[in-house]
Amino acid sequence: MILIHCPYCDEKRPEIEFANAGQAHIARPIDPSGESDADWETYLFIRANPRGRHHERWRHVHGCGRFFNAVRDTVTDKFETTYKAGEPRR
Amino acid sequence: MSEALIRYEPVPETPCVAAGVTISLAGPMQRFALRARRAEDLETVLKVRLPRHIGASEAGIACLGPDEWYLRAEAGATVPTDSGLPVAITDVSERSICLVIEGPRAAEILMSGCPLDLDNFAVGRATRTIYETVEVIIIREAEDRFHVELWRSFGAWFWIAITNAASH
Ligand SMILES: [Zn+2]
Repeated sequence: MILIHCPYCDEKRPEIEFANAGQAHIARPIDPSGESDADWETYLFIRANPRGRHHERWRHVHGCGRFFNAVRDTVTDKFETTYKAGEPRR
Repeated sequence: MSEALIRYEPVPETPCVAAGVTISLAGPMQRFALRARRAEDLETVLKVRLPRHIGASEAGIACLGPDEWYLRAEAGATVPTDSGLPVAITDVSERSICLVIEGPRAAEILMSGCPLDLDNFAVGRATRTIYETVEVIIIREAEDRFHVELWRSFGAWFWIAITNAASH
């Protein structure tokens, strides 16, 4: 079982306590009605699918309950780092 | 009015006694889910000190997350809820039951389905985690005694799983 470091609990916890929540650092447009259809489509549906280093949101759902960000390698499934929501991209 | 209601428990009221471990249902208690951005606001309302470290528990209050606490008190206890401060205090007493797992094999039996390293889980610590597929809150009350809080509807399944583990 993979151990994932939760930046809020500040300890490594078993993978089964966590849920993946998709790509990280996608900001909702401030003014949705001012967006073109293409930009809105990009915001809603278009996601990166890298082979390798990927920024993701994760949630410690069966723990402290918080969302945080993680850098994970999609090939090896290794977590490079995790950090609190709101902190700059690593 | 409450005398007219029949209390139904999802697990047997007779404890399960196995080698090195006893599993029993704790009596009814009052439970409150506490949420606030600032712990100080809850402290003002409740007039108690809150543990600040996630995983710590103190005087019946466990810190489960950065803005979440879980208060357990004796049945019938009340807390002030009408404060005007930005806090949420919700009575969730009947949502959960508490099983007491006690004896020298208590940690071992819990680890049959819980992936945490409970041998290194200090007395007084409390955390939300998972047992097989059931979300639970584990509180280490003493070296050989754990409280397991779980939702009532999972009670019947959990009882079978944990008593099975205890009998092996
Ligand atoms: Zn956590």
